[in-house]
Order: sequence, then structure tokens, then C-alpha cells
Amino acid sequence: MLENRIAALRRKQGHALQFKLVRTPGPFIQSPNENKRLQRGQGAYRGENDMKRIRPALLIAFCLVLAAEAYGQAPYPNKPIKVIVPYAPGGLTDVVARYFTEQVRRILGQAVYVENKPGASGIIAIEEMARARPDGYTLMIGNISTNGLTPVLLAKKMKIDYDRDVQIIARLADVPVFFLATTTDFPPKTFAEFLAYAKANPGKVRFGSAGAGSYQQINTEVLAKRAGGLEMVHIPFKEGGSGILHDLGNGDIHVTWFNVTNPVGMIKAGRVRPLVVAAPQRLAQYPDVPTIAEAGFPGIKAAQWVAAFAPAATPPEIVELLHDAFAKAAASPEMNDIFQKGGMIAPPPGTLADARNWLRGEMTMWRQVAEEINLRLED
Amino acid sequence: MYDLFSNLILGFSVAMTPANLGFALVGCLVGTLIGVLPGIGPVATVAMLLPLTFYLEPVSGLIMLAGIFYGAQYGGSTTAILVNLPGETSSVVTCIDGHQMAKQGRAGAALAIAALGSFFAGCVSTLLIALFSPPLAKVGQSFGAPEYFSLMVLGLIAAVVLAHGSIVKAVAMVIFGLLLGLVGTDGNTGGQRFTFGLITLADGIGFVPVAIGVFGVGEIIANLVRGEEQRSLVQAKITRLWPTKEEFKLAWPATLRGTALGSILGVLPGGGATLSSFAAYAFEKKIARDPSRFGRGAIEGVAGPESANNAGAQTSFIPMLTLGLPGNAVMALMIGALTIHGIQPGPQVMTERPALFWGMVASMWIGNLMLLVINLPLIGIWVQLLKVPYRVLYLAILLFCAIGVYTVSNNTLDVIITAMFGVLGYIFIKFECEPAPMLLGFVLGPLMEENLRRAMRISGGDPMIFVNRPISLGLLVAAAVLLVIVMLPAIRAKREEAFQEG
Repeated sequence: MLENRIAALRRKQGHALQFKLVRTPGPFIQSPNENKRLQRGQGAYRGENDMKRIRPALLIAFCLVLAAEAYGQAPYPNKPIKVIVPYAPGGLTDVVARYFTEQVRRILGQAVYVENKPGASGIIAIEEMARARPDGYTLMIGNISTNGLTPVLLAKKMKIDYDRDVQIIARLADVPVFFLATTTDFPPKTFAEFLAYAKANPGKVRFGSAGAGSYQQINTEVLAKRAGGLEMVHIPFKEGGSGILHDLGNGDIHVTWFNVTNPVGMIKAGRVRPLVVAAPQRLAQYPDVPTIAEAGFPGIKAAQWVAAFAPAATPPEIVELLHDAFAKAAASPEMNDIFQKGGMIAPPPGTLADARNWLRGEMTMWRQVAEEINLRLED
Repeated sequence: MYDLFSNLILGFSVAMTPANLGFALVGCLVGTLIGVLPGIGPVATVAMLLPLTFYLEPVSGLIMLAGIFYGAQYGGSTTAILVNLPGETSSVVTCIDGHQMAKQGRAGAALAIAALGSFFAGCVSTLLIALFSPPLAKVGQSFGAPEYFSLMVLGLIAAVVLAHGSIVKAVAMVIFGLLLGLVGTDGNTGGQRFTFGLITLADGIGFVPVAIGVFGVGEIIANLVRGEEQRSLVQAKITRLWPTKEEFKLAWPATLRGTALGSILGVLPGGGATLSSFAAYAFEKKIARDPSRFGRGAIEGVAGPESANNAGAQTSFIPMLTLGLPGNAVMALMIGALTIHGIQPGPQVMTERPALFWGMVASMWIGNLMLLVINLPLIGIWVQLLKVPYRVLYLAILLFCAIGVYTVSNNTLDVIITAMFGVLGYIFIKFECEPAPMLLGFVLGPLMEENLRRAMRISGGDPMIFVNRPISLGLLVAAAVLLVIVMLPAIRAKREEAFQEG
């Protein structure tokens, strides 16, 4: 709570100044003298919020800050960095974002805080981030759904041009996903058996997804198409993951794609069974579960990813700095511990250019896939 | 039996270490605080503290987060009773009679009964978790879309019972609530309904803005209209803090019934726990000898729902601990916290990590005791709050409402929506339309639609699915019986009579 308040305070301060001033060029270079002046100025300025201070003190404080601002700034980052997460607290992406921001905070020596802006498949968060001042203090951490599928499927609903206004900072994590089948009244026990069963029983197999246009729906439909036109019934779940797992457990739905972490309890209880895993190689904990490529569908890239984004106009040197900070965080022993225990895969090491190429490839692939299964969402 | 005792001893030995007692206390204090502040819910708080748990022992982290969760359940009733502000779905019905009691100068008694009822429910449901986790989890698992739909039908009919005025108005309010619930994105097609092109409405209208608007803000407007003298009359009436003997006599059976109802409904993932306090209130009113007392400060109307929501909050741990299925967002966060420590909640947790499981169970009981100790002395302070001149108090309430509503999803439109529903709430008061049935319709409508459509998809369009499944059939029969009782002319006459008195 306290951190949030301080953050809000500093943000306000930042806005007030930038409102009044033409931005000074070259904020990254400064002399020790200016630094002292700045500290003095900031110290006095904070007093504004102390209700007991009288007005003249306020005025002096304000002038001091104006002076400090006019002469230059401390190097980036000199105030807290806001990271928008397009979900309510509690989901996998939110949790990954919270652990990452904690590491980045240590690396940059500056507060980094998460602000949840859920809703509209991530459009609310993306638009707020894209429209924010491109100064490196407003970032976003999104995932395959909000920053991969939404820009492809819901481009018409966005008031921004995603490809033009948003850029990637770094890949943060890949999450392998299982293709799960229920064990309740559902005979197939392997992926091959499933394909044969679905072929022999058109319209009888029900698959669950988080809703129209979710990655589960798209991946299942791609699979159905490439396996020679399987006919399956789509059952959407507004509440998402927990509802899908629950209904998979009692056999009301038969199959779905799910990240490898959350269903572990259900797998151990024998209620659901992983048929294949979408990952580069088999998972150490599940040596018997083949990869989707081994099962004959190398083109299906169902793995979920999480990545960090910034407004496109953010200065390149700041984006580079942020990329390095996030990459360093991803390689830290703490994050690797979390990746391992959470069943996630650390992003491959690479430069900012690598990340950009990867995102371009990812977006192209999803556009092709949407075309292939002819997916259209209603307005 | 011997196993249970040795397990419980193990649990208490874990939970009673000074460090874990400290974490339980911190959790309970934070939980009480956020429960009292309207709108700032346990979800956001637990999310903020999540990275911290990485540096703690898993069991300590879990004890603290759990303390926040049920601490908020205790605290939420405080604002509902004192200033008619429900911060959570579960405290909406507490407003109905709890705030009436406060108006009659019985705020202390209402708060004490709420705290004692919650403590009792917490103890009983903790015991239930210790004894019956695996079989109870199975009950939850047998609930699918058809069962949920039938449960919602039952709930909506019960919503009519919630109202104590005209039955026509109650039905109209339920339908109005259902219509409000339609706003948002259609899950099956991705189409938008009644969003007027506003992207922030794509996920529907939030519960918190609506609840705080119609209850809290509406009440404030009504109070301000009423004028100074009448308000100070309410303040002068505060007499004794402790419930009277008669009130205890009425409250304890209600507490028992609420605990039983809440424990069962809490096990159901999703909508179950939401329903528990509504269900308990409707049940109390239905079996009361004189239902017309409800809505005018009936103590059972506080005791029943308050114990039900606490029992439901505790038993919602069962599907989480036994199957890794989160029943609500806080449970999902706790699974996240455990996952980071390499622990996957599931049936194996009880055997592989008995210290974690039983330590958690034991800490629930300790946490409930702590909450009782924290909350009972606070009652005096809360009641003093009512003596603050209303012209000062209402500003503070409005401020906290605005902050609380904003922080739910950091969206300014939610604050505007709250203001609009505040005006609507005042109009409801003027027309003597009760908002509780509307809120129940608003909460249940979308769940009902989703489960109806899902059930029909599962059955391939065959409506017999609702009759073929035994649990679903049972719930539908119960709904039909309830409907007949509501429709009976004799009872209706009594209702009209009650309406004319009021």
C-alpha cells in the first residue's frame, strides 16, 4: 500500500513537471552538481504532500524542482516504472509479471510495480500502454492471448495500430501446454487413439476453451483441420481455466489444451490424462508423454508465452536498457527456480533484434492460422 | 480417529510456532483492515503480497494469505452493518437487516453476533475440512453445468423471498438485475451486447460498482435528504453493545443453519460460495415464525448469512487443497503461491506434505480465534464511529467508496457507474423497491445463462439433461416447491399486509 502511494505521488510529480516544461534534450547526461541540485529539489518537493507545510515553502519547493528539471535529470530510470498487466490478479501471467518486476526492481534499483487493467481481451491494457508517454515508465507484460491473438482477431476493435504503436522489449517465459483428455467415460488413452475416436464419432467429442478466439479454440480447430477434418463441439467457459479443468474432470468435456502447471493435481488424482505436450522436447516429469511434433503435427505451436512490451516511440537506448534488465532477470537463479517449479521454460538468450524477429514470426503465424481455419468473431 | 488426533497435533505443532502465529496475526489484521475498507478486496491484497511469499516457508506464506482471506470475511460485515456498504458479494444481505439494526441503535449487537457467528462457523467448517475433505471434494466434482443451472433457478426464486415488500416489485427487480447482467461479450460468439461501443463494458458491469452504488451511495443520498434532526435521533439511540438474551436465543439456531448451508455450498467451485449468504437469508426468512420482522432488523438475518459466508469461505479450501481446483480468485492466487514453491495442490498433498496440510488446517482455527479477539473489542470503536456527525462521515464514506471502486480494476469509468447506480439506488428507496433481489439477479443471471448454454451444448440440444441428472432434478423440484409456496394466496396476502405496514 505504502509503495503504491509513493508511486502515485511520484507519478503526479512527474506529470506536473512535464506539463509545465518543454522536455529537456539529453536527459541521460548530467554533472554531479546537477545531481545534488536535483536531490535537494526533490527532497523539498516531497514536502508538498505534508499537510502541515505552509504555502511559501511549497512555492520554493516547486521552484527548486523546476530549476532542477530545467538543468537536467537523473539517468533513466529516475522514477518508478509502471507495468500494466491485462488481467485481474491471480492468473499465470500476473504471477509471472509480479516475480519479474521484483527482479527487475533489484537490477535497476528503482521501484517497478504492477497495475492490473483487466478486460476486453487485453485491449484496455494495450491501448493504455500504447497511448502512454513513451518514456520507458509505462510498460506492459502480456501473453499469447492478449498480445498475439487479440491484435490478429480483434484488430478492428482497437483504436491503435498494434504493429505500428507497440514494440516488444523481451521474451519472459514460455509455458508448455498439454493436450488433456478426461478419464471419465472417454476411451482414448493415447493421442493416436484420440484421433481415431474423434474421426469415428463426428460431433461427439467436446472440447473446452476460454471462449471464442481463445488459444485453446484456435489450436483445437487447427488440429481438427490438419487431422483430416475432425468434427468436435466447442464448449466455451467464460470463467476460463478453473471451469475447464472442473468439467474435464467430470467428463462433461473430453479434451482441451492446458498449461502443464495447473492440472498436475488432477493428473495425479487420475481424473485427466495428458496425451501430448506442446514443447520443444518431452518434459522431464512426464517422460511418457510425446511432443506434438512426435505425434505428427510439428506445425502446431500451442505453447503459451509471456513477454514484455513498450510503446513504439520509446527511445531505443531505453528499450535496450530494459531488454537487458529483463533478460538478466530471466537468467537469474531466482527466476530459474521459479521457472523450474512452475513448469515454465526460460526464454532462449538473445538480443532485442532476436526478440523482434520472433514476435514478427509469431504474428505472421497466427494470421495464417486464423486464415486457415477461417475464424471470424462477431462484432 | 487416532490418525486425526495425531494429524491435528502435527498441525498445531506447525501452526503454533512463534513465526507462524505471527504470520497468522499479520494476515488476520491485514484482512480485517481491507475487509473494513469497502471495495478493496482480498484478491488485490493477496496479489500484492504474492512475491513476498517466495521468501517465506510455503506453510507460513499460506497461513498469512489464508488469514487475509477469512479476515476480510469478518471485516466485510462491519461496513455493511454500520453504513450499508457491501464490499463483497457475500455481505450484500448483511446490509438488509444489519443496517436496520444499526439504525435502531443495535449496531453493537449486530456486529457481535456477526463476529460470534463467523467464529462458530469457522470452527465447524475447519473441523469439516479435517474430517471430510476427500468425500466433500467428490460432491463438488459431481456438479456440472446442468446442476449449476438448476441451482441458479432455485437461487432466483429464493431471491423473490428476499424482498419483504410487494412481490411484483421483487420480480421486477430480479428481472432488472438479469438484464444488467446481459451487458458484455457473448462467450460463444465473441459478439458484444449493450456495450454502446465502450470497450470498458466489454466484460460487463462490475459487481462492486453496482453494489456500492445502489446500497452505499443511494443510502447516503437518502440520509442527506432526510435532514439533520432525524439523523441525530438514530445516533442518540445507541444503548448497549452486547446482544440481549432474546437476541442470543434467536441467533444461535440461525448460526447453526447458516453454518450447515454455507459449508455445503462453499465446496462447489464457482458460484457456490456466492450463493451461501443469499441462501441462508432466504432460508431464515422462510422458516421464521414472523417473516415480516425481516428487513426491519431481525437478528437471524445477520446471524444466518454471516455464519454461512464464513463457513463457505473455509470449505472453499477443500477443492483447492484436494484437487488443485480454485473456487475463486484468492484460491487461484494461493495455488500460484504454492506452485512457485514446487508444491502442486492435489490429493497427494495430504500424504506427501502432511505438515503443510494439517498446519494450514490448524492455523485456520487459530486465525478464527484471533479474529474474534481482534473484532470484539473493536465493536465499541466502530459504534463510536456512528456518533461522528453525518455531514463529516458521509464524505469519508464516499471517498472510500470511490477509492475502493477504482482499485477493483483501476478504471475511472467504474467510479462514474457507481455514481449512476447511486442515483438509481435513491430512486429505488423512494419507490420502495428493494435492491437485494436485483443484485442477486445481476450475479446469477450471467452464471445461469452460461450454464444453460453449456448444458445444452453438452447434451447436443436435448433439454432432458436437466431431468436426467439426479442432483439437477432434485434442485429443480426444490425450486418448484419454493415457487408454489411463494405463490400460495395465503402467504401472498400476508406479504401484501406486510407491505402496507411498511
